[in-house]
Amino acid sequence: MTLKIAIIGCGKIADAHVEEIRKIPSVQLVAVCDLEPIMAEQLAMRFAVPNWYSNVSTMLEAEKPDVLHITTPPQSHLSLTRQAVAAGCHVFIEKPVALRHGDVVAIVQAAVETGKKLAVNYWPNFEAPALELRRLYEAGTLGSPVHVESFYGYNLAGEYGTAFKRDPDHWVHRLPGKLFQNVLDHALNKITPFLVDEHPFIQAVAYCGEPTPDGADPSQLLDELRVIIRGSQTSAYVTFTSHARPIEHSLRVHGTRNTARLDFQARTLVLDRQQGFPSALGRLFPPFLTAKDYLRQGLKNVNSFSHARFHYFDGMRRLLSEFYLSVERDSPPPIDYGEILRVSAMMERIFEQVYPEVFA
Amino acid sequence: MKVLVTGAGGFLGAHVVERLLTHGYTDIRCFLRERSKGEQLLRISAAYPDAQVELCFGNLRSKSDCARAAADVSLVFHLAAGLKGSPAELFADSVVASRNLLEALEGRDSFPAPQTRVVLVSSFGVYGVAALRRGAQVDEQTPLEGRPELRDPYSQSKLRQEQLFWDCQRKMGFELVILRPGVIYGPGGGAFSNRVGLQIGPVFFHLGGSNLLPLSYVDNCAEAIVVAGTHPDSAGQVYNVHDDDLPTASRYLRAYKKHVRRMRSVRLPYFMTRMLAGALESYHRRSQGQLPAIITRYKAAAAWGGNTFSNAKLHGLGWRQLVSTSDAMAQTFAYLSEQGKQQ
Repeated sequence: MTLKIAIIGCGKIADAHVEEIRKIPSVQLVAVCDLEPIMAEQLAMRFAVPNWYSNVSTMLEAEKPDVLHITTPPQSHLSLTRQAVAAGCHVFIEKPVALRHGDVVAIVQAAVETGKKLAVNYWPNFEAPALELRRLYEAGTLGSPVHVESFYGYNLAGEYGTAFKRDPDHWVHRLPGKLFQNVLDHALNKITPFLVDEHPFIQAVAYCGEPTPDGADPSQLLDELRVIIRGSQTSAYVTFTSHARPIEHSLRVHGTRNTARLDFQARTLVLDRQQGFPSALGRLFPPFLTAKDYLRQGLKNVNSFSHARFHYFDGMRRLLSEFYLSVERDSPPPIDYGEILRVSAMMERIFEQVYPEVFA
Repeated sequence: MKVLVTGAGGFLGAHVVERLLTHGYTDIRCFLRERSKGEQLLRISAAYPDAQVELCFGNLRSKSDCARAAADVSLVFHLAAGLKGSPAELFADSVVASRNLLEALEGRDSFPAPQTRVVLVSSFGVYGVAALRRGAQVDEQTPLEGRPELRDPYSQSKLRQEQLFWDCQRKMGFELVILRPGVIYGPGGGAFSNRVGLQIGPVFFHLGGSNLLPLSYVDNCAEAIVVAGTHPDSAGQVYNVHDDDLPTASRYLRAYKKHVRRMRSVRLPYFMTRMLAGALESYHRRSQGQLPAIITRYKAAAAWGGNTFSNAKLHGLGWRQLVSTSDAMAQTFAYLSEQGKQQ
């Protein structure tokens, strides 16, 4: 069975979706759609997609896709999800899932009520080292998680950041949680597998990490965020920074047995183990054990590279493969809906503190 | 006559505004995105106290901003375009923005579209030069790119932009003049075009060799845009824009090293560039894009295939180069040298 895939929303991130879809042999990208016909046309032209549309209803009716990728700005995700599931499509949504937690709940409900499957593009969690961490955790190597630290660095000096800072009408400025809302999913979805409380204590503080231009309102340019989260058994820190260099995406899970350090940039996972050596020897050996872990990870990465499995969005390809497989086999989707809802609820609680005037 | 210049805050835009003032245009609306870029336009206009230079800030992706820009103008110089960013951003900033502007021109009550002249600044990138034999001359008769999917996103977006303008011209009836500059350079611009070579890590790969560079010094380019854009015989015509006495890529690189900074460069002959491009292209395909295909054989042929160029049609309108190529290079390198010292 070849699944028919369609995409609505032909902006920058749609390129990544097309590239990863094309790597999966059991599916076919049949059409792309954007309200702006020029954008739909350009994506179809560049990737030789057979059809393009500027009306989603027309596309769903004509193409009858099995899966619809929604890569539009989040304001439209709820209505598009409802339309897609009513037309019989399973839905793969780009983050952020929606503007408000209530809309995320409604999106999940829409999928559940129609028996359609839903996944959100939490692709870093499907990188090889992230999956290895999950296996270690499930095997009990870490013990119970005591504390988790998610560090998310962001490059506002790049092309995206320049466009965002230069253009006061940039769509990210119109998100109620502004810059943080566009990226915080990726910082929070790394901790939700370890912190399962529905209503943890959350304390957030945000500030602008650079001098603001004369006359500019610093509250409109918040680009640094720190969050403390405390659940019944596990605590977490979340750091979002736009200024620290080098850019770091990392996760540290401190368990009752061992601690794991996952570097998403370098794609390494190393364990800090409890030491059995006495006295000074206990301080002598750890660097060599850690070096051995890094060497092993480096060789794994070389192996992945040589087998052409070291793409930037390799996690997305793996997530999509699992999602499409769940559609074909009617098995549970790769991301638990509870995790999606917990991420969304935490984001809402954070934004209530950072932007109280918007989220009151 | 009210003149609109979009992209007025850009490298070329400010020079076009200055040339318009020099040519006696006294009512100019400068449309630009960044407020910080407005100061240089005010400095330029200060030398022309009788002229009215209006700064109009906005984004051409916004239809309402386009309506403000288009109100009451009868001559439009459309320079705004996406120069970098993702392919989607290039198309949004070059093609969607252009469509919005043209629709705003059509929707006005004050000036019917047929009484409006639109001057589009396009690019050499629209030509299908990859299919030309080595040494073939590129002029306005050269066919447009027939395989845009094989070219870089910038060329794709500029080609689509031109097609849009011709489509709208037929529908709306305005006068259309298209200029296709080569490599625009000068103080405030960059040091190297890809036609000279590529910086990869610490090494500059000199790929242009003895190919001619279709350079257009920013003042000369701005003059060409104004001369062609306002000439009574230019409606419906296309003009290539580059200077006379073009240097080769090697000469440019040597002069850069002498006057700006010493740098390591490795010269690759064209056949070797083609071989490397083929290998990279093949690996890119086999690995499903693990390394980007920044060079393909097709792109290599377009960038470094080696052509000659003609600006005879532009000269036919009376355009003359304001700054000689040797002076232009000297001024550019002096600027780049100063920039290097400041860094």
